[in-house]
Formats: sequence, structure tokens, C-alpha cells
Amino acid sequence: MTDQRIDTDALVVGAGIAGLQSALDLADRGYKVLLVEKTASIGGKMIALSKVFPTMDCASCITTPRMSSAAHHDNITTWTYTDVDSIAPDGTAFTAHLTRKARYVDEDLCIGCRLCEYACPVELPHEFEGNMGARRAAYIPFGTAIPQKALIDIDACVYCGKCEKACPTDAIDFGQEPVSVTVHARSVVIATGFETTPLDAKKEYRGGVAANVISALDMERLLSPNGPYGRVLRPSDGKIPDSVAYVQCAGSRDETLGVPYCSRVCCMYAIKQTMLLSGSLPLADITVYYMDIRAFGKGYEQFYQTARSMGINFVKAKVARIEEEPNGDLRLRVEIIEEDGRVTEAVHDLVVLSVGLKPGDDPRRFIGVDLDQYGFVASPEPKLDATLTSMPGVAAAGTAIGPKDIVDSIVEASAAATKIATYLGPPPNSPQVPEDGLAVDVREIKAGDALAVAGRSEVQRG
Amino acid sequence: MTGTPIDTQGTRMLVIATLLCSYPGIDATGQAHMEYPPNTYVIPTPDPVMFPESFYMHCFEKGVDGILIASCGTDSPYEGSYDQLAARIPKVYALMKARGISIRRLKLTAICSVCTKAFLKEVSDMEAVMAELGPVSGEMTAVPA
Amino acid sequence: MAERRSKPKGADKATPATPATRATPQQPVRGEKVGVYVCHCGGNISDVVDVDRVATEASQLEGVAVARHIMFMCSDEGQKAIVDDIEALGLDRVVVAACTPKLHEATFRRALQRGGMNPYLFLPANIREQASWAHPHSPKAATEKAIALVRAAVAKAEMLEPLDKVRVAAVHRSLVIGGGVAGLRAALDLARQGVGVTLIEKSPFLGGRSVQLHTVFPTEDPARPLVHRLIDEVKAERNVSILTNTEVVALTGYVGDFTITLRTTPRGVSRDLRKSAEAIAACPVKVANEFNDGIDERKAIYQPYPGSEPDLPAIDWATCTRCGDCLTAAGAGIDLNAEPVETRIEAGAIVVATGFDHYQPRPGEYGYAASPRVVTLPQVHRMLDPEGPTGGRLEIDGRVPRSVAFIHCVGSRQIEGVDEPGPAGKLHEYCSRVCCTATLQAANELRKKYPDTAVYDLYRDIRTYGRDQEPYYVDSSKKGVVFMRFANEDRPKVEVVEGANYPLKVTVTDTLTFGAEIEVPVDLVILSVGVQPRDISEFIDMTHAPVGADGFLLEVHPKLRPVESAIPGLLLAGTVQAPMDITESTSAASAAAAKVTALLASDHVEMEPFVAKVDPSRCDGCGLCLDACHYAGAIALQDVEIEEGVVEKRAYVNPVACKGCGACVPSCPVSALDVASWEIDQYKAMIDAITAQPLIAGAR
Repeated sequence: MTDQRIDTDALVVGAGIAGLQSALDLADRGYKVLLVEKTASIGGKMIALSKVFPTMDCASCITTPRMSSAAHHDNITTWTYTDVDSIAPDGTAFTAHLTRKARYVDEDLCIGCRLCEYACPVELPHEFEGNMGARRAAYIPFGTAIPQKALIDIDACVYCGKCEKACPTDAIDFGQEPVSVTVHARSVVIATGFETTPLDAKKEYRGGVAANVISALDMERLLSPNGPYGRVLRPSDGKIPDSVAYVQCAGSRDETLGVPYCSRVCCMYAIKQTMLLSGSLPLADITVYYMDIRAFGKGYEQFYQTARSMGINFVKAKVARIEEEPNGDLRLRVEIIEEDGRVTEAVHDLVVLSVGLKPGDDPRRFIGVDLDQYGFVASPEPKLDATLTSMPGVAAAGTAIGPKDIVDSIVEASAAATKIATYLGPPPNSPQVPEDGLAVDVREIKAGDALAVAGRSEVQRG
Repeated sequence: MTGTPIDTQGTRMLVIATLLCSYPGIDATGQAHMEYPPNTYVIPTPDPVMFPESFYMHCFEKGVDGILIASCGTDSPYEGSYDQLAARIPKVYALMKARGISIRRLKLTAICSVCTKAFLKEVSDMEAVMAELGPVSGEMTAVPA
Repeated sequence: MAERRSKPKGADKATPATPATRATPQQPVRGEKVGVYVCHCGGNISDVVDVDRVATEASQLEGVAVARHIMFMCSDEGQKAIVDDIEALGLDRVVVAACTPKLHEATFRRALQRGGMNPYLFLPANIREQASWAHPHSPKAATEKAIALVRAAVAKAEMLEPLDKVRVAAVHRSLVIGGGVAGLRAALDLARQGVGVTLIEKSPFLGGRSVQLHTVFPTEDPARPLVHRLIDEVKAERNVSILTNTEVVALTGYVGDFTITLRTTPRGVSRDLRKSAEAIAACPVKVANEFNDGIDERKAIYQPYPGSEPDLPAIDWATCTRCGDCLTAAGAGIDLNAEPVETRIEAGAIVVATGFDHYQPRPGEYGYAASPRVVTLPQVHRMLDPEGPTGGRLEIDGRVPRSVAFIHCVGSRQIEGVDEPGPAGKLHEYCSRVCCTATLQAANELRKKYPDTAVYDLYRDIRTYGRDQEPYYVDSSKKGVVFMRFANEDRPKVEVVEGANYPLKVTVTDTLTFGAEIEVPVDLVILSVGVQPRDISEFIDMTHAPVGADGFLLEVHPKLRPVESAIPGLLLAGTVQAPMDITESTSAASAAAAKVTALLASDHVEMEPFVAKVDPSRCDGCGLCLDACHYAGAIALQDVEIEEGVVEKRAYVNPVACKGCGACVPSCPVSALDVASWEIDQYKAMIDAITAQPLIAGAR
């Protein structure tokens, strides 16, 4: 292990859409930002999505420009594949210990040509594709990854040396070691994001056991134009599904799972996916079993109504359990809440569990901020300053604070940047408020005018 | 490479690509080493809405045998531009007809930034058109009086 | 979407205004010394494309001063070659044939700058992603294609003009419109970051709608102390001036440099007023009290609640008869003859935080206005407020209701065929986001306060989505709130029943009990009215701010840029953009502040120069381009003195408002328009270069 030291105005932990946005806002304001990401590419969960609701923009089309802006910003240093080990106040600022994990590829030399990937003989399930496609042991994380730099999955590597021979820039370095870095940061933004609740959280749904019970994030990849199969096939036998079921709240609003809260995004992503499915599988029946449809954001209700008018079947029901048939189909025991309240069975050939959101990391592992009982970062001022944390100089944004969708994450990320900028004070060479201070000359305001002026609630009288 | 190989001999295709959508999509096609015929020339633009009808005619006159407008479709970052673009195409078709040029040589399509397969299909379709019709010079009539 | 086109700002000025300067206006000079660099990319290109041949062919092109092929153009060595050649050979354009410009365009532009060249005289040719990688099995053809792409790049590069970023001088001040939580939050954040703020509020009092609540969900904190804490913090900032009773009456200028005329209506009351209570008591006028959502009345001189900000009554000039009784009673501190004052201020950016209105039910909608026992949730909020008009007691005719029914989604999630469009001719198709939790909060409070009162909740979907909101739903079931679910197409009916034990009968087809039709006798019906856009049409006309189909101000992008209006320098905070709760409003306000501080981070605002431009020697002022453009103020006709004494209209592009899409370009019958760096003649030169290359003979 070698050691490095670096100074920065703001250390942003997590380079998903929230971390990227906070970093960009701070950098645009003139602060130096160190953006660290534990995985090998920036972009977080958003870059893996198919399209986004309710605009139906292709997710990667709108994420990559943001990723690229951050990666090329003069004020942002981006370190991927970097773990945050600890962040502690050191009087005036924070001392952070980071570990830049070994990629076994020299990032400066790698040109992202993928010759190592083509040469590598080892095939592994592709995490980015929900383990549905394959990747090599030497690989670039995914097509739109930033940086376009290879890494070697050393646990899977067979040390054949083929990548080393294939590399045109001699970037492969099996001797590379993790580098410990001490960062002196004046402030911190926690944007550690979310993970989905486990597919097998509710055993009665057979997630993780039955091949054709998949998570909604897997479906995102199946629906992506650059996804693992390039179209929607069910995993067990590659059959094109005729009947797809969505089970809502499969991991949320469930006290027994320790996730009593609403995950906020599942209704909308399910609606979006059903609309995309009805486009790619026009003959398929699509059913959504739900408790309450929570289409609360701007334009979301209209989006939901569009889905209903497209013939998506929304059924208010509780799914009690799911059983796998020998042919891979799935038999759902459903308690229909509306109509006659009957308990019935329905067979679908693909079931998507609308899994919920839980914290992506435990920030307490590296920093002493207060969390709520579910592990999300808590604000001491939840109504007026949601992105503050219990530690001065530390803000949080996005799903690290609680489940939320992209737009709400982005709003919070910008809000967190404001909190950090306020804490740091203006960067050097910032313009000053013009000398006269007040935008209005109070002397122009005549007697009796309602006026509360700087620092005093005063009614001026001339 | 997909489908039956098409003889691309003697033709050239222009692909008008948008900076935000299809240009990165075409890059992604190359990144994935998905092959398509080399007689394809990609020119980037912020938005194909900027091209007047005469530009397309200039291309045909100079010997471009097929034009694929790989727009952003309704994902266009610019207000109303796709509708304006779509409305222009029939006017170009009219000019093409007047010069005896098959309107199949010009196609407006939408390609997203990861739509690699869609791009390959559009290219392959246009290649087929160009192979069937041959060089544009062969069917172009003189400027109508 | 609202009509966005109108006369651009400055269009009526006689001389062309130059709100932005393009620093070096130069006559186009054709490139005569082009440097061409072909990258091997360590074999990624050179294994397929014969880079030596590409460079050789390029070197023979007219205007090319040097053509090299280099192992890695992005390396220090590659960049140094460019810088060295600029110095040694006096290059005036640079073409790099390498990977996609998405990767290294910025790298090479910087190299040009280091060599002392204008960075916009660089042009990439993409021969990796779009040649060697796409045609690995056709090396000859890929090489021919690469040559054609380089020829095209050289042809265009020779025609490139040096460009400078569009710069607008920025005033380090902002205007925040709206004194509710969003406006207050934005003002505080801006002031604390050293940006001057003028905070204006249309009404005589700060605090907006939040001060009408008595507690906020989910913290259950008292609302007014919370909001007043924020007000006090704003007042403590040196950089903020606050004007109540103030509206924007005129607005000109651009991002970085807006000039705004404000009109301040006199309060009519000054600090000298010592006998507020007497003055108010003396006033003979009685009007509906908007602070209590009309459940009681106020005078024409009024104060919404003790300790309001400012803690001083104000006169409502719309209803004041100027009888003078208040002045007689108070003795001093009232001026009934004060005139409005107009003030002009400058601001670099504007935060719009004008808030929302509650949906007003139509008479007869669920019995509203047909019975005084049909009320709205905001009215119930006022009744539940211990400091409110009923002292916190929910009473009807002096009695606590025995049975109440809440009805959700009143004025929200409306559908055609069932709901009638509002005054603006629009249905409220959207979800108002806050009503579910607010309703359950009130329902729980009623159950707690009046355990003998039966509470029914008629809903469609319960949307307690937010942090710590689900417990309201869970608790309400535990507390005995009875839920009934109705279908959107089959709404509950509220009927007045004369002489019955209960004065109101609610009939609902409850889908939770097998679609049975249930009659619920109640004393009180509470309508959970939605959030609707406030009428700010005058401001919209002044700014051309785009409005969405739902009537709320439209953001640039609903996912990625939610707090920015398409009008540069105009930011959206809180419910002016969409329904949201206090937490979400203050976050949006802080986010808007982040955008303002980034805009005003230096003494000027800088933007990319790829915007439309007019060739004045060709333009004949026909104005067709104005119709083609979708961006307000981006293009205008201005009077230009063509020659001595001859003034004619000519198109003028405002580089600040122009987005560079080029929609105007084909509209011009005389080809006077182009987008800088994306000019039609440059494209034609590329086509000529590509087609000049011999056809690829299916070479493999």
C-alpha cells in the first residue's frame, strides 16, 4: 500500500445521479470537488435503467451527458473503484481515509479499447445486466461506463496473461496494489444511494428460487435497447412471455421485512415497464397487483391514466404466494380486494417483483452522522433543511436520505450543494454584492409602505 | 453483422446524426464492434431541423445515394423541432420526385444513444434500397425547367 | 402550453441592443494552414485503417500544412505535437482523426488554446467508433472511409470561424418572488452565500400558506413557530431586503442582467399605530377572512394572527371605504392617502416562488355550498388550530360532529366525462401530492380529540409516500378510521337530508366491500381539495416563462432540470412548479439557490457560442425566422441603419436566448441564417469532400 494525500473543498461520496448533481453544482460554483465511487464507473443505478418515467426518455441518453460533464469538469476529480473507509472531523475540516482499489489496469495508460476483454477466456455473469448476460474477468463495466477503463476481476482471473499480451498500451498490471489516500476535505456530501430489497425477502414469492420471478431492476435491463438479450425473454427458457404479472410492494410497506415505509418509486417504475412491455410484447397480457397506486409526482398521475387506457390490467389485490409450475410458469394465489373479494389463482409466465428501496450503504461505517431507524441519513431540520445532517459541514442527498425518484434526488442534490456552499463560504475570487448592499434604496419608499428591511422588521417612515 | 450481406458496391449513404441521441448511438454500435457496411458517412448536427430542403438535393446531386436522418424523434432536446423536421420531409420528397429521385432514398428515423440494433436495421434497410435502386445518378433527371 | 411567442425584449429599441458581447468580431478568414493528426490508438485504429495512407492523402489536400500519424493523440506526446506545430508552422486550423469527439474534443480544444489558437478552430474526425471498430473486416474500405472523413473534416475546418463564449455581465443580486416557505428558504440560502436578495411578497404578510397550518406532517411541529424561525433567519441577513405588498410590474433584460420594476402598495399602517385592536374594531367593513379560508370574517384593516410578520395590521384597499373610523379610533399610525411606490431594481437571476391556491370546489360538487356542513380540509385545518377562529374546536352549530366523512381527490386526478373543467378550461388531471397525508393527519387528530366521532375516509388510492408518512395510514386504521374506496368513474354522492337524525347522507359504492352501495349518515363532510396553480399570468406574459399542460410553470426537463425555467436566469422554487409539501418546497428552493449561485459565480455568465447568426448583408427583414423559432426572445427584428438615413428591419439573434437548434435556418428564403460552427455551407463542403472520394468498390 502506498500513500497519497489530497486536499479538496468537498468530498462527495457516491457518483450516482445525486452525487453527480451535487458535485456539478459545487464545481460550477467554483469549489474543488473530489467525487468518489465504490464501483468501477460513475452513473449509479440510473445508467442501468431502460427509460425514465414519465418522459420516457432513454435513461442512458440523459445520464451520460451528466456523467461526462462531471468527468470532464475542471473542478471535479473523479475516482471510481474507491472505498471510503473513514471520515472524521479534524477541528476545522475532515480527514478522510480512502482506498483506491486495484483495477490491475493502469488507468492512465488504458485507452478503453477492450482488446483485453476480447482476449480474456473467463466468462462470468454480468452484474450490470442483472447477471443475465456474461462478462469477462478483464472488462469494462458496461458500454456507457465512465471512465471507459478496464479492470480485472482478480478473484475470477486465471492468470493466463492473454489480456497483458493483447493490451496495446501495456496497461495491465497484475502487481498493482490498493492505494490508501488521505483526503483533507473541508466538507462532505453523502450520496451513497440505495440497494433494492432482496428478491428473496418474501420467501412465499419464490424470488431467487423460481427463475421466472425477477426483480424490476432486472426487467429494466431486459427492456433496455442495449440489454442482455436485446429483447424481453424470460430467463428459464428464453420464451417470449405472453402473460406478465407485477407484484407491487414486494418488499415495501411490510413491517415483517423491516421496511414499513413506502419506497416511492415502485408504482411508477412498474407503470413505465408495463407501458414499455406492451410496446415490445403487444400480444402479452400485463397485470399489476397493487394496494395503492402512488403516482404523486409531476405528470405521474397522467402517466398512470395513460397506462390504464393502454389496457394494462391494474388489480387491487394481495398476492399471498407464488408457486412454480414444472414448465416454469408461475401460479399466483391472489386475494382480490375489489370486486367480490374472492381468493383466486392466476397463472403468469413471468413475474416481476416490484422490490423496494433500502439504504445502499451504512454511512455509519465511515462517518458519525445520525441515521433514522431504517438506516437513512436523518436531518435535524427535516422540514426546512432536509439535506442537513447531524454533523456541520456534512450534507446528504438522494436515496441516502430515503427512497425517492430521480427528479427528487436531483432537487436534493442541488439543495445539498447549497448547504455545503453556505457552510464553506464563497470560493476565492467570488464577486461581491454591490457596495450599496440593498437592492432597494429604502429612502425611495415613502411613508406607510410595508417594508421589512435587512435585519429589522421595520415599517419605514420617510 | 446481421442479415444477408448486401452488395454495397457503388453507392454511398449519408447518416445525419444528432449530437445527443443518434451520434452516441452510432458510437455505441462501433464500441460493441457491431459491423455495418463502410459506405456510410455520419455527419453530426445539433438538430437535423437546420437543414433546408435544398441541402438534401445538394447531397443527391453530388452523388449521395441514400440519406438516413437519425433524429432524436420526440426525445429532441429542442422545443418543437421534431415536428418541424417531420413537416419538412414531404417537401423534400416533392423536390426529389420532381427530379425523378425515389423518395425511398431519404428516410427520417429516430435513433437513441444506445439504440445500436435499431441503427443497424435502419442502415441495412437503406443499403437494401440503394442496392435495389442503384446509384442516384442513374435516376436523376435534369433540373426541371 | 401557454403561448410563448411574443415580441422579444429589446425588439422595439431603435438601435440593436447588444445584451451580450461576442468578443472578437472577425471577418471569416479561410483556413490555409491546417494541421491533420491521425491517431493509431495503439492499433485500435491502425490495425484496420492504414493510418499512414490517411495521413499521406491528407497532406496532399489543399490548405493542409502538415499531416502526421501518431500512436496516441490523447497522450501528452500527441497533444504536444499539435502545440509544437502551431508554434513552428503557424497552423490556423486543426483536425484530429481519432476516437469519438465525445471522449477527447475538450482535450484537443485545450491543446489548441495552449498553442495560442482559438479552441473552436478544432475539428474532430471520428475514425475509431465510426470506422475501424465498425468495419474491422473491411480494412481497405475502412481506410477509404477514413480518408473521406478526414477530407470532409479538413473542408469544414477551413471554413470554421474563431468563436468566443457568449458572455453576459452578471449582477450579483437576485430577486425572489414570494414570501412563503419556498421564497424564504431561497432568500436565506442566497443571502448566506453572498448573493444580494430582494424578497418580495404580494400580500402584506410573510409566511405564505404554511402559517395557516397548526402542525406540519410528519414531524408534528407547530407550523407558525417553524415558519417564523425561517423568517427571523432571513431578517437577520444583511444582504436581504424584504418588501411586502409588492409585485413585479415590468421586467426587461436577460440572465445576469434583469431590470425589474416593482410596485409596492402602501400598507396604510405604520409603526406609530399603537391601538391596533381599537382601529380594527372601529372598521365597519366585514369581508371573508382568507386566512381562515372564509370560515369567518375580517375587517378592511386586519392582521391574520397575532405576531404575524410584520406584526402590524394592513389595510385591504380593495374593500376599505376610506371612512377614517380606524384612524379616529387609533389616533395615529394610519395613512389612508399613501400612494403606491414604484422601484426599479437590477438582478442577475429571479427565483419564482409564487406558490399555489387551493382548489375551490364548484357549487354543488359533493354538496359544497349547498350545505354549510360541507367544508374543505384547509377550513378544517383552521378549526383545528388552537389559535384559530374556533380555538381548536371542530364544531358545527355549537356541537362536535358525531360523524364526519373525508372525501379525497377533490379537484385532483380529474377525468374527462366525470369532472368539469375549471375556469381555465382545464381538468386537474394531476395528483396534488400532499392531500392524502394531510387528510389522514387530520383524520387521526379528530379520532384522538373526539373519540366518539366516527370518521370515514373515502379515497381512491392512499398516497402516503413520503418519509414517515406511512405511519399516518397505519395509525388511522388502528385509530378506527373507516376506509371506503371509490372508483374514479363512480364518485360518492353527498345529499342534504332535511329533518333526519344526520343532516347529510354520503352514498358510496365501496369497492373494498364487494362494490356494495353504502349510505353513511354524517354531520360533516370534509373535502380534501387539491393544489392548483396560482394565476400569475401577468408575470408569465412579462417573462414568457413556459407553462405546462397542468398550468404549473414548466421546468427545462422534468427529470434532470426541475428547478430551471427555459428562460435563462428564471428559477422555480416550490409549488409554482408542481404540488409539493413543505420539505419538498424548501429543498426545491435550496436547489434553485444552487442554480442562481452557479449562474452568478463570476462577474459574467458564460455560454457556448453555438448559436444562430444572421448575415446582415443577406437578410431582408422578412421575419419568417421569427415564426420558426420556439424560444422566446431568441430572434427578433430590429431597425438597422442600412446606409445614411435608411433604416430597415433586420433579424437579430439574442445569443443568450438562442439554443442553437437551427430551426430558423431553413426558414430563411435568402440563406442569411446559420448556426455558428454548424453552417450549411460547411456541411455542403463536407458532402463535396466525401463525394469527391472515389466510391468504395465493395473492397474487403
